[in-house]
Amino acid sequence: MIELKSVTKRFGSETAVDAISLTVNRGELCALVGTSGCGKSTTLRMINRLIEHDGGEIHIDGRPIREFDGRVLRRRIGYAIQSTGLFPHWSVARNIGLVPRLLKWPAARVTERVEELMALLGLPVEQFADKYPAQLSGGQAQRVGVARALAADPDILLMDEPFGALDPITREGLQVELRDLQARLQKTIVFVTHDMDEALALADRLVVMKAGRIVQQGRPLELLRAPADAFVASLLGGDDRGLKEAAITPVVERMRPLSPRLLPQARIAREATLHQALAMMFRERVERLAVVDDEDMPVGEISLRGIVGAGLSEGRDR
Amino acid sequence: MPGREAPVNRVVPTLAVTALVTWLWLPLGSIAPNRIVPGDAYLLAQAVGWSLAMVSCLPLLGLLAVAWRPTRSGYRVALALTLLLLAALPFWLALMAQQHLDPELPQARVGIGAAWWLMLFWLSLLLIELRTRLALAGWRLALSLVPVLAGWWLAGKGLESLALRQELAGREEAFGEALVQHLLLVGGAVGMSLLLGAAIALAMRQSPRVERLGFALLNFLQTIPSLALFGLLLAPLAWLSARFDWLSALGVSGIGWAPAFLALLGYSLLPMVRNTFVALSGVEPGVLEAARGMGMSRGQVFRQVRLPLALPVVLEGVRITTVQAIGLTAVAALIGAGGLGTFIFQGLGQAAMDLVLLGALPILAMALAVDALLGALTRRLDHRAGQTTGTIE
Repeated sequence: MIELKSVTKRFGSETAVDAISLTVNRGELCALVGTSGCGKSTTLRMINRLIEHDGGEIHIDGRPIREFDGRVLRRRIGYAIQSTGLFPHWSVARNIGLVPRLLKWPAARVTERVEELMALLGLPVEQFADKYPAQLSGGQAQRVGVARALAADPDILLMDEPFGALDPITREGLQVELRDLQARLQKTIVFVTHDMDEALALADRLVVMKAGRIVQQGRPLELLRAPADAFVASLLGGDDRGLKEAAITPVVERMRPLSPRLLPQARIAREATLHQALAMMFRERVERLAVVDDEDMPVGEISLRGIVGAGLSEGRDR
Repeated sequence: MPGREAPVNRVVPTLAVTALVTWLWLPLGSIAPNRIVPGDAYLLAQAVGWSLAMVSCLPLLGLLAVAWRPTRSGYRVALALTLLLLAALPFWLALMAQQHLDPELPQARVGIGAAWWLMLFWLSLLLIELRTRLALAGWRLALSLVPVLAGWWLAGKGLESLALRQELAGREEAFGEALVQHLLLVGGAVGMSLLLGAAIALAMRQSPRVERLGFALLNFLQTIPSLALFGLLLAPLAWLSARFDWLSALGVSGIGWAPAFLALLGYSLLPMVRNTFVALSGVEPGVLEAARGMGMSRGQVFRQVRLPLALPVVLEGVRITTVQAIGLTAVAALIGAGGLGTFIFQGLGQAAMDLVLLGALPILAMALAVDALLGALTRRLDHRAGQTTGTIE
């Protein structure tokens, strides 16, 4: 668990972070969003003491981080950044094994851990272990960056726009992988991004910052439905907010049991989002879809009315 | 091979034709009865006879034929022909000496002519061109030069009358000493400037004020002409050695190795400091941030990340400095520092060009060798750092 209590950071006369308070629970993915220079990266880097905070307190698992030696603290916290920061003169395997070696793990255990992580991130050992970072594609390099951050099995992971420099397709693929990984590993993750779709798709808790302060925080749906002010509303997509909400709401939430009426021809998977269901209706020129499970068996149906109207007030109450 | 004929190579025939022309119509060498009298120039045909001259041109014609239809095996043949021509070069001089030198005159000597030097130059260019075409690794090229060197050594036995050798005769000891002195001065100055330069570069990274001051000073030093710097050092060093006995016991005085060493050091510092400073500052910030973010200590970041990544650029500085120092040391002979420059200035004074060559050729060879060796080392390190993506398979 990470707790920030009225944390402040000044650079000269400028206040970069102004008395922010924030709690990230164990196993939660917290996304910091905001315009450039709003203090989100500074906040992230104060957590592993790459930047020292001037005021307030930061606690990790109940202990103030100032009690730890900076290096010891950083070895306990995974760290992944946009430029990957891979060492160009080290092979992939050596890069991933960096923190375990800093922690003086025996060599055999480091090798074992590196191979385990490469498998976890879909990097075949025999193909990638001896490659150098310059020989990797952007997506592969970023996977290695994430593997390196996870190497010593830290409870906490800090990620500073880790997918920011990738093309949209690679980025989406890695987002899906990160979500699957997080479902398995249950790390406490603080994630800085300026890509709102990425934040909405990944975050359990969304924190909107502006000029060093937190404007609003909460679950993505809460923020989408009740933005605190015009800034949050426009940051979350302005008039597109409804569609963004549809993009993070699964079909099952608005699904109704199969009616006695004729089953619709067009079908949509149970795991799909309302956004995808809408797109399907638009494409097929229909108002009803059959919802199917993995075996393509109908389990319910969803209607345009169900998506846009009937469920909404109900959804708010929940 | 119909269908996929490679385009006609223009470099090889151009070089071959040029070589043919200069080889036949410029003097191959000259023969002089002694050191003072200017020699008589001989064209190739006059020196070895028409028939042999024609034979010597056959490999060049072969090169022309190969260039017409350039294939990989064609280029290999061309490489073999070029190496053959190179290996044969000294034999033509030996042949000329054998046929035209008067055995009654022990002082008679063979001078090397324009055709010979130019042929060496054209053949070197051909080697470079063929190496690129065949994508030969450096060590394989070096290996293929071994038979050439063997040929030269063999031919050298029949060339006691070569003017260069005549100048060397009786000076073997002085030549050895000069060579060692030259190497010592260069090695000492470069080694010292590496240590001192690294220290200065590190100090500069600590404070921008030191950086500005340091670069201003080193830039100023670089603008003083070398002869002037030797002169400027004369007075203070003479005074110091007169004042402190232990300095004069070390051999420090207004002239000699001490001012030469100091001047070389001064000139070497700028490229060394600049390259070291740029190398250390030029490491990608994201890499350093990640290193720190992973929990490396400052020392670990420096030793394991910053230094290895900076090393190729630092070595580049050593290369530039060393090549520069090899040349500058020649001038240091003027203030009695010894070294190969001694022969150059002696030769200039006596109007004996072959003596000048005796000093200049080893300097040239040294500079080329250092350049090639350190360049190869730098590329190797760069390669390991993965910065040259294209060459890693």
